[in-house]
Amino acid sequence: MSVFEGSGVSVKYGAVTALDSVDIALEPGILHGVIGPNGAGKSTFIDALSGRKRVSSGRVTLDGEDITRRSPRWRRGHGVSRSFQRTSVFGSMTVREQLEMVARKNHEPDLDDVIETLALGDVTERVCSEIAYGTQRLVDLAISLVGRPRVVLLDEPCAGLVADESAQMLTHVRTLCKERNVAAMVVEHDVDGVFGNCDVITVLNLGKVLATGTPAEIRADETVIKAYLGSAA
Amino acid sequence: MTLYSTPDTDAVVAAENRPKALHRNRKGRGIGLAIGAGLLLIGLVVPYVVNDNFTMSLLVTSSLMSLMALGIGFLARYLGLFSLGHGAFYGCAAYAVAIATTNWGWGPLPAVIFGTVFGALVALIIGVLVVRASGFGFLMLTLALSQALYQMSNQTVMRPLTGAHDGKLITYTGNATFFGLSMSDMMDPGLFWPVAWVALVVTGVILWLFGRSRFGTTLEGIRENEERMRFSGFNTFRPRLAAFVLTGAAASLGGALFALNVGYISPDILSFGKAGDSLVAALIGGLGTLVGPVLGTFLFVYAQANFNFGGNIHLLTGVLLIVVLVFAPGGITGALTKPYRYWRAKLTQRGKGAEK
Repeated sequence: MSVFEGSGVSVKYGAVTALDSVDIALEPGILHGVIGPNGAGKSTFIDALSGRKRVSSGRVTLDGEDITRRSPRWRRGHGVSRSFQRTSVFGSMTVREQLEMVARKNHEPDLDDVIETLALGDVTERVCSEIAYGTQRLVDLAISLVGRPRVVLLDEPCAGLVADESAQMLTHVRTLCKERNVAAMVVEHDVDGVFGNCDVITVLNLGKVLATGTPAEIRADETVIKAYLGSAA
Repeated sequence: MTLYSTPDTDAVVAAENRPKALHRNRKGRGIGLAIGAGLLLIGLVVPYVVNDNFTMSLLVTSSLMSLMALGIGFLARYLGLFSLGHGAFYGCAAYAVAIATTNWGWGPLPAVIFGTVFGALVALIIGVLVVRASGFGFLMLTLALSQALYQMSNQTVMRPLTGAHDGKLITYTGNATFFGLSMSDMMDPGLFWPVAWVALVVTGVILWLFGRSRFGTTLEGIRENEERMRFSGFNTFRPRLAAFVLTGAAASLGGALFALNVGYISPDILSFGKAGDSLVAALIGGLGTLVGPVLGTFLFVYAQANFNFGGNIHLLTGVLLIVVLVFAPGGITGALTKPYRYWRAKLTQRGKGAEK
């Protein structure tokens, strides 16, 4: 059984179905990538799994327990955390202040380890709104890693980063996932990065799952090539 | 700069700095408490220096209104919420004191405690309804609910309790005293001053300590990014409600003591003017520091009493508010501390340059 599962997850806005019966299963130590063209429902999907959006039908389970209706706060307390596509940090606080605040709430035994892992040591005493955007993204990631969550849902961690930073970010996410044995899902635009780093990939298109499989399987999948990757892949 | 520099010595240095930072924190608290104690003692001398009763009564009124402004300032600073409702808690507490003493024959001290608790209770009920709102929503909701209370206090059915439009004269049964002050002593500003001043300084120090605590950090987090707080496992409703009730209790204490001091509650106490004045005074004083709203209130009360030329006080107030907000958006304390903050920023910048 997977740690974290979404089954038949659907989200409707009035008559529009943004997400149509999507399944996903996350395993510890496995990095699961979710890709798809714009409007495929990737962000809606992560919002539905993390409790930011109400699920119209379907179930989300943690260790087999139904948590579909649980609040984001409850989920965080039980080891399910997420990051945000638009950098979501605490602008007026120093990096250390905000990490310590979240660490106290989530019983992080070794905050310095998180800081060190993400190489934030240089900026701990700086006010967050004043540091570089790429570094703010790391702080965002650090906030979601504090407290050793078992499940981490990352919404486009590379959004707004230049190619180099983006590649580094994904290798970093992969290392963290393996080292901490976290069940991680990453929604990402950077297709090459996802193919290079993820163990399993789910392709979404128009709110539906097009295919799920290893990078090799996805690359060979006819429907994916036709709908999304194009002949070049 | 590369995104992932190797975790070099800087991280180690930062880790070593931590206990020092904690130590500095404790030292800061010590200094703050010492300043509070110093202010407390200096303030007690005031009646011996100020001889005329008129100025003294302005100072007492300022202290009591400052309790409300302190609360408004705290909410604005830590939650970014601007309240027009604190006048309601001030007024409700004053009425509660008047009712407890006059109708029920309570002594002044139990009445003040009751008034403060009652005001805090009103803050709790209103808070449950309004703290989820933000910005203008919050401002308008607090205004609407406090105006509802104002209308309620003026209804004829309320006459036995509030005196409706006539207001309520406070009477005591027997020889009631409050910390050794008789009824006429309480209405003597020179004699009542220590009570007002101690209440103000002690409340100020308490709010200051709350602001520095984990509770204050949580409030700041909610102000900065409410959604991320929820997704980081925080309950964001309860701390906001707690802050609202805490500041409501501060305003209530002011109102309760005000009732003892003036001995008569005019229905105006719940009107929009009172709450608005306090918010304006807090803005003029500056919301960036705890002292700002207090300073603003003292200046505001003094100016209202002395510069009321031809009944155009609201015109003058409005013009002054515009001038302050345009030329010193941080209020008076903001303008005064600007050179210091500029100098400190310069210094840390230079410090960083030297390290590299």
